[in-house]
Amino acid sequence: MELNWTTFALEIINFLALLWILKRFLYRPVLATLAERRAGIEHSLNEARAAQANAASLKTQFESRLADWEQEKAAARARFDAELASERARQMEVLSRDLAAERERSAAQDAHRQETVRRELVAEAGSDARAFASVLLGNLAGPDLEARLVELFIDELAVLPEARLAPLRAGQNDHGHGVVTSAYPLAEVQRQRLSSAIDARLGTHGPLEFVEDGKLLAGVRLSLGAWQLDFSLAGELGVFAEASNLAR
Amino acid sequence: MEAAGVVFSIGWLHITSTVVTTWGLLLFFGVGCWLATRRLSADKPGLVQTALEGVVQSIDSAIDGVLPGRAELLLPFVGTLWLFVAVANLTGLIPELHSPTADLSTTAALAFLVFLSVHWYGIRSAGLKEYLKHYLTPSPILLPFHLLGEFSRTIALAMRLFGNIMSLEMAALLVLLVAGLLVPVPILMLHIVEALVQAYIFGTLALIYIAGGMQSHEASENTEAPQSNDKKGSTT
Repeated sequence: MELNWTTFALEIINFLALLWILKRFLYRPVLATLAERRAGIEHSLNEARAAQANAASLKTQFESRLADWEQEKAAARARFDAELASERARQMEVLSRDLAAERERSAAQDAHRQETVRRELVAEAGSDARAFASVLLGNLAGPDLEARLVELFIDELAVLPEARLAPLRAGQNDHGHGVVTSAYPLAEVQRQRLSSAIDARLGTHGPLEFVEDGKLLAGVRLSLGAWQLDFSLAGELGVFAEASNLAR
Repeated sequence: MEAAGVVFSIGWLHITSTVVTTWGLLLFFGVGCWLATRRLSADKPGLVQTALEGVVQSIDSAIDGVLPGRAELLLPFVGTLWLFVAVANLTGLIPELHSPTADLSTTAALAFLVFLSVHWYGIRSAGLKEYLKHYLTPSPILLPFHLLGEFSRTIALAMRLFGNIMSLEMAALLVLLVAGLLVPVPILMLHIVEALVQAYIFGTLALIYIAGGMQSHEASENTEAPQSNDKKGSTT
């Protein structure tokens, strides 16, 4: 163990040289690289922070817009619901009106149809009754019935109102003689009685003409010009048919 | 252990094997660092660059732990101490080579540099007057003890490293001579650990001494915490 002063001095110089070498070739470049990397990392961190802040801002903005959209959506939905309710009420009202009109129209059509059916039934019933009465009266028709109808004619003529007699008298004046039509040949007695009764009610007239017409079935018809006083079964059936037509 | 022999002389200047080995280490460091730091990349560091950055950052963190904010100032000196002492200690593992730190001249030179750097950084940090004033605190009576402590810890620094490395090499040599070829292998493995530990201790003590010098004016202002680093250093 001895101290060599030359070595001591040279080692000091060597260490200082090594200090310069390491500082020049190791510490400075490595520290510069580390500083550069640190700066890069800091830059990246700053960018990341900026991006994070931007993202947070965008998130806040998006949430705000989302909240606005939710409010607008709720308002639009409420408005749409109100419009829908209003439209539904309007449509229901229109539908109710249309339904009532349709119901009325249907009721009117039903009533019309029922009336038509009723009339058809009445007409059919009248037709059936007329046919039945025609058949029945045709079967009952005969000289006896006609005699009774002649008697009935005389009686009715005696009590016929003046209002109905006036046209007959006018017809008599216009056309001269009257025509008495019967379904069967009248006896002389019946003719005289008829002439007497007609004279009594219509006054003096020309000679009466007596003719037979089987279409009358039974009874007599007095024709004075255009005016007739019918007391026959055919005339009654015609009145009946006319009444049936009027009833329709 | 025999003293380092003179390899050659330039006039009155006798160059020993210790100096030649140290020049070899300088060459190794110089070429190695130049090759390793030619193409540093901040984005894609290679394996060597990563290792170098790890070493530099470890030294930087250790200095920053002792003196926060002063790492940039102290990194060259303390880092060089650590690296040089570690590599110099390990040089003894190479056959036919001796560790420069097994020579008292080298360790004394390093300790002397540490002694000077303590005052250099202390004066630079606090100013000459403030720095010298801390030798008079807490009482001027303690001035001789302060001066004695300065010299004794420097001598201890040199002797500790020299003694440890020299004894390791000698122990390995003795075991090799007595036991045979492969028996010293555990001793050599112990040499690696011891070499790194001694380098760490030497650099850490230097750092603590420098920190004590730089913080001396603060210690003189606050007498309740006097020279704690110096006490710690002197007793290590």
